[in-house]
Amino acid sequence: MATRETIVKPTVVVDSRGTMCPGPITDLFKAYRNANVGDVIELLATDPAAKSDTRAWAKRSGNEILAVVDEKDHVRIQVRVVKKGRQ
Amino acid sequence: MNIVVVGGGTGGTLSANLLAKQLAAEIAAGNVNVYLVSGSEQHIFQPGYLHVAFKNQNAREIVREEDSLVRREVHFIKENADRLDLKNQTVLLESGKTIKYDYLIIATGSVPDPSAIPGLNESALNFHTSTAESKKVWNAIQHFEKGHVVIGIAGVPHKCPPSPNEAAFLLDDYFRERGIRQDVKMIYVTPYPRPYPAEPMSRVVEPRFEKRGIEVVTFFNVESVDAQKREVYSLEGDSISYDLLIMVPPHRGADVILKSGIGDADGWIPTDKNTMRIIGYENAYAIGDATNIPVSKTGVTAHLEAIVATNNIVSAVRRRREIYRYNGRINCPFEMDSGRASFVVGSYDMPVREIQPSRLRYAMKKTFAKFYWRTLSGNWDWLLNAYFGKTHNVQTTEV
Repeated sequence: MATRETIVKPTVVVDSRGTMCPGPITDLFKAYRNANVGDVIELLATDPAAKSDTRAWAKRSGNEILAVVDEKDHVRIQVRVVKKGRQ
Repeated sequence: MNIVVVGGGTGGTLSANLLAKQLAAEIAAGNVNVYLVSGSEQHIFQPGYLHVAFKNQNAREIVREEDSLVRREVHFIKENADRLDLKNQTVLLESGKTIKYDYLIIATGSVPDPSAIPGLNESALNFHTSTAESKKVWNAIQHFEKGHVVIGIAGVPHKCPPSPNEAAFLLDDYFRERGIRQDVKMIYVTPYPRPYPAEPMSRVVEPRFEKRGIEVVTFFNVESVDAQKREVYSLEGDSISYDLLIMVPPHRGADVILKSGIGDADGWIPTDKNTMRIIGYENAYAIGDATNIPVSKTGVTAHLEAIVATNNIVSAVRRRREIYRYNGRINCPFEMDSGRASFVVGSYDMPVREIQPSRLRYAMKKTFAKFYWRTLSGNWDWLLNAYFGKTHNVQTTEV
């Protein structure tokens, strides 16, 4: 299970706190588009849909959720890019 | 004192007119000049591209001369800004001339850029870049007899969030009217987890897409298009074949913003989402599509943000202590089943809610489209305020 203990140093931090759906997932996609395989994208979000949307996208795209941590006033989600484009 | 507005779209035109109207006394006394800088001599009602593309609306009906929309008190500079120097409070025009400003509003909009995705420009039609491109969509669908039509979103963010879904609904209507819908497979592609990004409105769209047999492919971030093979590929590793491809292109900020180095990597200007001030600048504002604020890029938001930015400037010019703060109100018309429309309504504190389409709302959408030109004058905000309700609040600062 992805927890605080599995947090790693991210390659890029996407701060989407204060944005409404679909802000966080849109910001995540932008980071994914610019990322390389192996990169860790850290998404910070306050929108409640961020967790479920990110999990669903990771499952569908074959990318790995490293951590989902509820901080005091936001959620921190780390995704490792393991798949991108046609392989 | 010079107040310069850069950009002649919805937000820019309204801003210049509101400033001219509210500061009429100062302008008459020769103490204030309001400039509008825009190289576009024509003003296009961009939501109209949809009907040019899918209902063969005459493109001339959605275009007016910008001259006819700008108050006579405004100095209309009919050329583009080449560079914006916020540090030295100077607008550099393409001709080389400069305008020093005391207050600035940047309303340079967003640029749909098909070239940002390899193969997209060569292979996909769109209804976001111009009346000519929208007309090409109409021409293409007229000659389409059977096969796979892929329609959707090639990049986010983009202006007018409902527009890709609206296009799918109108295209489905069109094929049914022609009696060939059974020969057409329609596939809607989106990077989002659902047919419409906001879940409450997606609950309205999804059953209607299903009923019409429009297949939805989610989590599809377009990576590239192979025009030879007629295949579109996603970052997620999926591919879809097409016979006709109609996609909303990725958008970026205007060239002048990228050239001036005042936006992020995509050209969106860091802006306070309430006051519309550009972050780090007391006397420079950004409104509409040009900003990075977390609201939809639409004409309505540009309009409401223009009201806030201009009021803040007027307050500063008259040394009043009011600060106007936009509340994030959005109100996107959303055309769905034949003759019915909904609205996407929300604000920073009010999530988008589910609103079913109706004929009344469709009539409202059509009425607003006709009324749009008059709203740019700034003389009808009392009516819009009655409809929208509270779109900003006013904070009084301490002495």
